[in-house]
Amino acid sequence: MKGKAFFIDTTLCTACKGCQVACKQWHQLPAEKTVNRGSFQNPEDLSFSTYKLVRMEEVVVDGKLKWLYFPDQCRHCLEPPCRDMAGDKDAVYKDEKTGAVIYTAATKGLAPEDLECPYNIPRKGEKGLLAKCDMCIDRVYNGQLPACVKTCPAGAMNFGDFDEMLDMAKKRLAVVKKTNPNASLLDPEMVRVIYLVAEAPLLYHQFSVAGLRRPGMTRAAALRKLTDPFTRAVASV
Amino acid sequence: MDVTRRSFIKITGVTTAGLAIGKLGFDLSPVKAHAQMLKTAYARETTTICCYCAVGCGAIVHTSLKGDGRVINIEGDPDHVINRGSLCPKGASLSQLVENENRLTDPMYRAPYSSEWKKVSWDWALDQIARRVKKTRDANFTAKNEKGDVVNRTTAIASVGSAAMDNEECWIYQALMRSLGLVYIEHQARI
Amino acid sequence: MTNHWIDIKNSDCILIMGSNAAENHPVSFKYVTEAMARGAKLISVDPRFTKTSSRADIYAPLRSGTDIAFLGGMIKYILDNDLYNFEYVSQYTNASFIVTKEFKFDDGIFSGFDPKTRSYDKSKWSFEMDENGVPQMDRELKDSRCVFQLLKKHFKRYKTSVVSKITGTSEADLKKVYETYAASGAPGKAGTVMYAMGWTQHTVGVQNIRTMAIIQLLLGNMGVAGGGVNALRGESNVQGSTDHCLLWHIWPGYLGTPRASMETLDDYNIKNTPSSNDPMSANWWQNKPKYVVSLLKSFFGQNATKHNDFGYGWLPKVDEGVHYSWLDLFDDMYKGDIEGFFAWGQNPACSGTNAGKNREAMKKLKWMVNVNLFDNETGSFWNGPGMNPSTIETEVFMLPACVSVEKEGSITNSGRWMQWRYQGPKPLGNSKPDGDIILELGHRIKEQYRKGHGVFPDPILNLKWDYSTDGAYDPHKVAREINGFFLEDVTIKGKQYKKGTLVPSFAFLQDDGSTSSANWLYCNSYTEKGNMSTRRSQKDAPNNIGLYPEFSWCWPVNRRIIYNRAAVDPKGNPWDKEHWVIRWKNGGWEGDVPDGGWPPLQNEDGTVNPNSRYPFIMRKHGHGQIFGPGRADGPFPEHYEPLECPIAENLMPDNKRLVNPTAAIYGTDADAHFTCDARFPFVGTTYRTVEHWQTGLMTRPQPWLLELQPQMFVEMSEQLAELRGFKNGERVKVVSARGSVECTAMVTKRFQPFNIDGVDVHQVGLPWHFGWRWPNDGSEESVNLLTPPTGDPNTRIPETKAFMVNVVKL
Repeated sequence: MKGKAFFIDTTLCTACKGCQVACKQWHQLPAEKTVNRGSFQNPEDLSFSTYKLVRMEEVVVDGKLKWLYFPDQCRHCLEPPCRDMAGDKDAVYKDEKTGAVIYTAATKGLAPEDLECPYNIPRKGEKGLLAKCDMCIDRVYNGQLPACVKTCPAGAMNFGDFDEMLDMAKKRLAVVKKTNPNASLLDPEMVRVIYLVAEAPLLYHQFSVAGLRRPGMTRAAALRKLTDPFTRAVASV
Repeated sequence: MDVTRRSFIKITGVTTAGLAIGKLGFDLSPVKAHAQMLKTAYARETTTICCYCAVGCGAIVHTSLKGDGRVINIEGDPDHVINRGSLCPKGASLSQLVENENRLTDPMYRAPYSSEWKKVSWDWALDQIARRVKKTRDANFTAKNEKGDVVNRTTAIASVGSAAMDNEECWIYQALMRSLGLVYIEHQARI
Repeated sequence: MTNHWIDIKNSDCILIMGSNAAENHPVSFKYVTEAMARGAKLISVDPRFTKTSSRADIYAPLRSGTDIAFLGGMIKYILDNDLYNFEYVSQYTNASFIVTKEFKFDDGIFSGFDPKTRSYDKSKWSFEMDENGVPQMDRELKDSRCVFQLLKKHFKRYKTSVVSKITGTSEADLKKVYETYAASGAPGKAGTVMYAMGWTQHTVGVQNIRTMAIIQLLLGNMGVAGGGVNALRGESNVQGSTDHCLLWHIWPGYLGTPRASMETLDDYNIKNTPSSNDPMSANWWQNKPKYVVSLLKSFFGQNATKHNDFGYGWLPKVDEGVHYSWLDLFDDMYKGDIEGFFAWGQNPACSGTNAGKNREAMKKLKWMVNVNLFDNETGSFWNGPGMNPSTIETEVFMLPACVSVEKEGSITNSGRWMQWRYQGPKPLGNSKPDGDIILELGHRIKEQYRKGHGVFPDPILNLKWDYSTDGAYDPHKVAREINGFFLEDVTIKGKQYKKGTLVPSFAFLQDDGSTSSANWLYCNSYTEKGNMSTRRSQKDAPNNIGLYPEFSWCWPVNRRIIYNRAAVDPKGNPWDKEHWVIRWKNGGWEGDVPDGGWPPLQNEDGTVNPNSRYPFIMRKHGHGQIFGPGRADGPFPEHYEPLECPIAENLMPDNKRLVNPTAAIYGTDADAHFTCDARFPFVGTTYRTVEHWQTGLMTRPQPWLLELQPQMFVEMSEQLAELRGFKNGERVKVVSARGSVECTAMVTKRFQPFNIDGVDVHQVGLPWHFGWRWPNDGSEESVNLLTPPTGDPNTRIPETKAFMVNVVKL
């Protein structure tokens, strides 16, 4: 597979949120006015000015407390449903070299729901545009790591050629599985942002994997949508 | 200062936790409008060490060579052997510490019983402070303690701070305070 | 840190206790992660399950303020199971020293206690000396009066069952931690500890660290790669500002400030310079007079001469037995005894314990100078909650300092690395580097004394103050002064050194006025070879353990791991062959800069080499101190409860003292404190979050960081929330004997009640980053309005990690 990919090893993440700020810093995105909702996670959700968000969940697994971290962002799907659903070729396109899925000013007027993102990523701004992670494509074209990857202190965020990242993810999975039999890679063959999780995916986030929580959509259907844009119309009927 | 673009790229090919990732082997020909020059292309690079915790992470400051000469980007220094380009959220937000509309940019004075600040000049402020230091010190100088030992000190002036200063600043600061006879010299390390 | 950040990767077992490194030193986790990838175990001990705990192999909760009990249990475990490194303990520590019969420990008190002054006569804790004045030793560690046997006796009471009752940690968890950590005592293995204010901010703060230091000595973990006792310092230059001694009790380079009785430099040197009769003890501090005179030459330049005692008499002296520390300073200010106050790059209205007292105290000042990047709760104290400006006389001068990237100079990290920073943009607006402000203020004060009659003007007029170039502060000039100069042409060991050249290292400093050095520890940092702190070489040392000896510079003399002569056995072979620090080869040491170049303690045939020196060269007797007779509160650590605690009696057997009998206590009407009081039933503690820094003054005015952590909060267990009827996210009030603060309730499984001797004890935790000035709607306040008026008897660091509170509905 050509192009680039992220490998996000959540087992190494410490939820320092360096990636959240590095993303805002590089993109010069404004801060949101937030409140403490009784959680270390803030903001509450992704937004037009928050492309990256470390989601945090406290769960008890087999009687043991776990604090799970999930640095959420656009998955840059290999066959992005949002591109197909957008209708307008100029609104959402896939960069040839990197595989980055890019939103442009032509997203004006589209609603996030219209794009049927299985990971619930796109967000609308005040001026009617949609926004999300752009893979720091300007940096990548200039030989630099995406801001979130570069800033990650603990080695959770990785970036490189797709095959290499997938290979790294698989090798790391084998290591993690020895101590965490429930560990898995999330939709590894379908996305350019491959997550490794140690526990059941839904414990991290309701949209951690494609379609699992989409009303009226089975996982198989969701995956079909991801992999085969031509069956999309059928599946969504 | 020997940070070069080349070493920047070289280091970005090494991951953080000792796992190897591939080189970012692009040709740099622009294929789309987004593949523009980096915003840091017309900037001067200087290295710094993060001003927050004491890990001592290196960062690169990009100062614009155009216009107002202000900071346009600060990110981790990939050649720094401790942080290897990474930064926590505080370090990653350094540029907003510098370019911040809440910063103080002029000396301010609050008069007795006043409910407001007044903007003043450096010249006036430092002159007034020097006068007050002398007045308080001279009126409250202890040459000998109760036992009759020579102590040459004043306890009527106290100082706290600062671990936020550079080494060289710390040294001249303590020298100035000790020359005045202060013994109440304390800072963050005590708390 | 005895070691340094990168060295954490060499560890086999990392104990994070008294700190939350994943939250507060996130980049350190790069090296924790590397160690774990090699198979190292990570242990997290903390009252609540933290981000660090979430990555740990073992998590064990403990009630705040019970670390000595927890670690004392580990000492007992190590001794009971013979898990210590016998050769290391016998040869390198004072475990073999014989203690006089005057030393006793009864009912929770060591011998020599004077209840009137609440202090000890430390002469009761001394060693038996032989006819030459050398400590008597039993290297077999069998003598009933040797330190090793006394240690065994002292910690016999720290049974796991007892410890569990005190700490609230289950016996199973205690055993897991003890077993895992003690395994680092095996040959070739190393264990390290990463601690911070969670250990220091207690009335037993120093003894918390002493307990761990004893463990590290027993396990042979001092001096080795991946070992050491590592304080994770919280501010970018708190190491440097401590080295340069912005502290009442020490002069730059940790030279004690002179006491009133030391009238002359001779008096000072005699009373402060340790001497040892043991020819095998390097007793490095015997060089102190050289460092003192070189410092005085830097203070006063040519005005310091042999004839005037190098200006020694110009500097202030402190009274014996009197403390001038933070707590005392604000106590004095509260009593109205201080007129003028500099709050320079510090925010005591939020940072100090019992901050309400500090804020009241500021009203009694005539004038205050506040230097900062942002308006803050200290400079604007007269405008804060509950203040009426029209009744407050204090004049305030608020001066704008520039940000670190707008100036040039060096800072020193936790691993003692001095690193140079360069100027990026020019200072914003009319802000200035602190250096320019200090220098100009000094000139103005000198001018005042030059033109007018003033009291005792000598030190002010004679102060060397030539640190500008072209009218601006020049950090290079100060950095060179800190390193030091030859002030005369000299010949040392056959080599000539010209007057005016930089001294190569502190071994060249003299006590006759022929050298200057503003801080002997930094001598070697800026030499004729250049500014060492700017170095950026990526090359590692031959031992390949991440020392990077040509990247920046570290004190002392670029030694990256201190006490490294203990990293080898007495014959000079590394305990750990893979991660060796130094080793003896072909008649010399290779690897890190050794703690002195003397040969190994023993020859190949096992006989003692009289040309060698014991490895702990900064100790008078050259040995690591398992028995620490210099501390204010005892030569061995002992569990005492915090000043405010939830139980009425010390649960440690044979200890009738609840609280450290020497703890610092204050008596104004603003110093209320209560123990076992039903009005304040819950243990409170304070900590930091990754998004903010200290009082938040350099993070709260930043929208990106405020977005991540916008409001004051209190973390509590689900059980406590249910008890009080709180919902997660609800605003509640936390109250102590000193004040109250509104917080958002963060209800979490990560806090659990502690079972203390059969009773459920709840604990809550609060961050200390907030204050009323930012966010600028005034909605948030500082936790230090709650914290207690007491501190450690050695350091006087306040006990902000354990106190009693209530949590109530708004």
